[in-house]
Amino acid sequence: MSRLGTLVRQTMTIARRDFVATVFTPTFLIFLFAPVVMGSFGAIGGLGANAATSGGGEKSRIVALVSGDQARLMMQVDARLRRVYRDADEAPPILTTKEPATDAAAQARAQIDDRGVEVAAVAYGPLDYPQILYTPRATRAGDYLAELAEQTLRAERAGVAPLSSATKIKIDRTTPRLGRGKESGFFAVFAIFFLTLLLAGQVVSGVAEEKGNKVIEILAAAVPLESVFFGKLLGTFGVALLFLVFWGTLISQIGTLMPAGMAAGLAALTPAMGMPMFTLLFFGYFTMAYMLLGAVFLGVGAQASSVREIQLLSLPITLIQVSMFGLGAIAISHPSGWLATFARVFPLSSPYFMAGRAAQSPDLWPHVVALAWQTVWVAIFVAVGVHAFRRGVLQSGSGKFRWKALFGRA
Amino acid sequence: MHDNLAISATGLVKKFSGRRVVDGVDIAVPTGMIYGVLGPNGAGKTTTLRMLLGIIEPDEGHRTLLGTERPRSVSDRVGYLPEERGLYPAMKAREAVAFMGALRGLPLRTGRKRAVDLLEAAGLGHAADDKIRKLSKGMAQLVQLLGSIVHQPELLVLDEPFSGLDPVNQERLEALILAERDRGATVVLSTHVMAHAERLCDRLAIIAKGRRRFEGTVAEARGLLPMQATYTPRNDDAHIADYLPADAQHRGDGWRFTVPQEGSEQVLSRLIGAGYGISGLSIERPSLHDAFVKIVGRAALEDQA
Repeated sequence: MSRLGTLVRQTMTIARRDFVATVFTPTFLIFLFAPVVMGSFGAIGGLGANAATSGGGEKSRIVALVSGDQARLMMQVDARLRRVYRDADEAPPILTTKEPATDAAAQARAQIDDRGVEVAAVAYGPLDYPQILYTPRATRAGDYLAELAEQTLRAERAGVAPLSSATKIKIDRTTPRLGRGKESGFFAVFAIFFLTLLLAGQVVSGVAEEKGNKVIEILAAAVPLESVFFGKLLGTFGVALLFLVFWGTLISQIGTLMPAGMAAGLAALTPAMGMPMFTLLFFGYFTMAYMLLGAVFLGVGAQASSVREIQLLSLPITLIQVSMFGLGAIAISHPSGWLATFARVFPLSSPYFMAGRAAQSPDLWPHVVALAWQTVWVAIFVAVGVHAFRRGVLQSGSGKFRWKALFGRA
Repeated sequence: MHDNLAISATGLVKKFSGRRVVDGVDIAVPTGMIYGVLGPNGAGKTTTLRMLLGIIEPDEGHRTLLGTERPRSVSDRVGYLPEERGLYPAMKAREAVAFMGALRGLPLRTGRKRAVDLLEAAGLGHAADDKIRKLSKGMAQLVQLLGSIVHQPELLVLDEPFSGLDPVNQERLEALILAERDRGATVVLSTHVMAHAERLCDRLAIIAKGRRRFEGTVAEARGLLPMQATYTPRNDDAHIADYLPADAQHRGDGWRFTVPQEGSEQVLSRLIGAGYGISGLSIERPSLHDAFVKIVGRAALEDQA
């Protein structure tokens, strides 16, 4: 068997052991169904927030101090204007009309101070010169009352019957909407960040098990450490893939599980190079992001001598991932700036940025170059991790950096 | 280098934090033999073995393993039982043996079949499907040894294989080692228990303070010390010491002394001539233990000097 063949065989032996040892345990079920717990808490939080918001919405009012026919007309105009607002959150507070008192200004002020009802804004005085009081957070409510006065006056003069009758036809665009590329790009960057945040951190404790139960000496004697490290990476990546396939299949089969907004957002994504190629590249960049971050985490984690040290690493790991996401997200919104060039070249941010570019630009060759560049850096990170492990943990005094172990003879 | 050497090393040096824990060790292990690497605790045995196997690199010196200067390239032909035993606790015994074979290039399916046979032969057939964490320390150690021979290596390196084993398991292990040698494998084992080395080793090296102090057969090691005679006279009195060698010491009813280089005949003739007679006489060759203590003690004195 060739040197490469032997390396692959040894790597796969380690990867298989890690995959099996992880998947065939009860703990894996907890890992697999963690999103259910996460989603449940999210749903509970969402329901609570919704209840709090809707409760507030029911109490909030806008008041117009108008009388008689003008009050009835204003209510009709208000009903017509509200048709524009599809979302209850966007609509202005509910309108109440009241007969103006002799001192309308004092009456308006009293409305604002009413303890029983939260009044956001009050209009009083003649409709052609209405006075509008509004609370600091109710600018829009004040604007709405001003518009309502204007439209009520117009209706008074022209009548409430519609002057035009529109025919609405729904069609899809045949070209990407301006700005859609940026949205798709950001989505790609965020999706990779989200997945790596969920899945890549577990690599950090990859070698800890072997160090703890002394198996590392057996492995180090039998196979090159490069195979051990690559095997660990592939084994945990296999677990991550299983996780993705499980949830991907579930969500695709039960579309109702996906929030309506997210489903619509996904459907509206129009990557520049077409969905099939984008999907392929997205998977490639997710793999690279996982491998690059995983190789760094594995190398650093291998130096840890206790579980406590490994736990301490979780914060820097999260910070690194958030930083790379931030860099990728900023760079993708200004793809021609120096920051974009840096994000494209810097190994840890490159997969994020390039996934975003795949959504924005139809050119294929930059991705071929980027994937090759990232692959080289995976090898470099593993080589550095192995070198540090060999010197620091196995106490091999060899100061030579063993490039050949990766690219040539052992 | 000889073609019939499984291991050849010259001038191996290893420094940890500036201290030379292995200081110029030479070793030549002929193929098909059981070769012992003996030495007191901290002598540098394990470090030497790790360098020979390519787990760590020597700071100085050269080594050849199974004909190559790149020991890692022949790792599939080598079996290794490290001093610090290590197995995955959640693995079944059968799987652990097969996994260790797979690391050395043996297909898993073949490994599983051989694992069952080996476990049966070692008296552990009943534990084949037990997880390692359920086995006793001795059983787990045997499982690990089986894992190091499942791929039928040409060279088997065992670092302190007997430590932690009860006498029954020690005997099983000795049988396994002899069976490996009979199969044609070269076995290198490190130990500081002389009884095992004396029974098993065809040749041995004694390492102390990071240096090789002796290399040869067990008989040659024992031959480093003169034979000891225990003599019991028929008649004893205060003047008998005048007829005995200068190092003679009274022990019980008799005397113990070093047999002179020219033999014991002249001493005995003098004693018989003086009328002391011979009630009992035994001449003993020194044990490997005696030779080891002498060699290691001399090494300590040399280093102090």
